[in-house]
This record gives sequence, structure tokens and C-alpha cells, in this order.
Amino acid sequence: MSKTIEITVLPNGQTKVETKGFVGSACRQASQFMERALGQQTDEVFKAEFHQSASSQHRIQQGE
Amino acid sequence: MSPVLWGLHRAFSFPFTQLEEQALSHIVSIQTEVRDPVAIRSACDRLNLPPPYFGTVKLFSSSATGWAVELPEWRYPVVADINTGKLAYDNYNGRWGEQKLLDSFLQRYAVEKASIEARKRGHSVIEQPLKDGSIKLTVSVGGGL
Repeated sequence: MSKTIEITVLPNGQTKVETKGFVGSACRQASQFMERALGQQTDEVFKAEFHQSASSQHRIQQGE
Repeated sequence: MSPVLWGLHRAFSFPFTQLEEQALSHIVSIQTEVRDPVAIRSACDRLNLPPPYFGTVKLFSSSATGWAVELPEWRYPVVADINTGKLAYDNYNGRWGEQKLLDSFLQRYAVEKASIEARKRGHSVIEQPLKDGSIKLTVSVGGGL
């Protein structure tokens, strides 16, 4: 899976930064430079879909 | 290891082990702060605004020092203090300047700032307007992390 940082800038100028494709704590480190550059953090969430990604990886390994 | 200790070990170590090994999405919301004169200038360019200038500017009943941006039809400039990231302005609740023009400037500033920071690190950036008026930037992070 490719590693990306998605930044959504709302019409009022507020931003949402989302990391995708990183493993473990690297997801947090990956976007730190961007968060610091843009301003003050108001909220932080870890997305639950990581369980699905893990399952997919596991299935690929089993099939090899 | 005794069954009790083994149980405790599992209860406390498993979630952290799992966190380290799994793919995660991490979402952070940010209140934009205006701190970069280069990104301010770039935002003005993109919005066809006059170039920003540094100085002390009179607002209605006060003054402010910083990078002044002149928005269309605004009676007074918007002044960015890059030390605090805050904006000073007086648009008299919209009567002396439309709020949406200031919002557009802030949005463009954030887009320019994010693009500048991504490119500084050698990452490619794709900009895409969304239907709700938001702007999405996709930064491809090569290797390393």
C-alpha cells in the first residue's frame, strides 16, 4: 500500500490531515511536520480500518 | 510464568504489540495559523490579490503590526502576526468586508503552506478541488517512513 498524507482544507481554512498506508506509530510521525507547519491541533483520531488492512496482509501471507 | 502473570502480560502487552505491527490511519484536525510570509505571498498571488507588505497598519480604532493583506472591498487590511499565527482585522461584522473572502484567503494560505512543506521534503503533491468547496492535497511519501 502506498504511503500518503491527505490534507483537506475546508472552505473556512481549517484543515484535516490524514495519514494512510503507514504501520504502527510511523503514521503519527509521518504527518507531524505538516501538523506543526499548519497550526494548532484541535483533535486526533486513529481510524479503525487498520484491522481490515491487517487482515488483508495476513491473507496475502497465507496464500504465498 | 504463573497463569496470573501470563494473563496480565497478555492483557497489557497485546494491544501495544498490535498497534506497532498494524497499518493505521491517523486523522488530525488543525486550526490554521498564519506564520509563513512565503506562503502568504503565494496565497496572494494565487488569489490575484496585491502583494502583502510588512508594517504597522491602522484598523478602525486600533492598529496592528505584521504582514498586511488587502482583500477586495475590505475597508482595512487583514494583518498576520507571524509570531502568534493570529490575524488582526476589523470588518465590522461583515459590513466592511465579506467574511468569505477572508475564509478564502485562509484556505489558500493553508494549501500553499502544506504544498511548500511537502515539496521541501521532496514529496510530490496533487491538488484537487472538492464539490463542497474544500481543497484536497494528496502528498505521496516515498520510502523512509
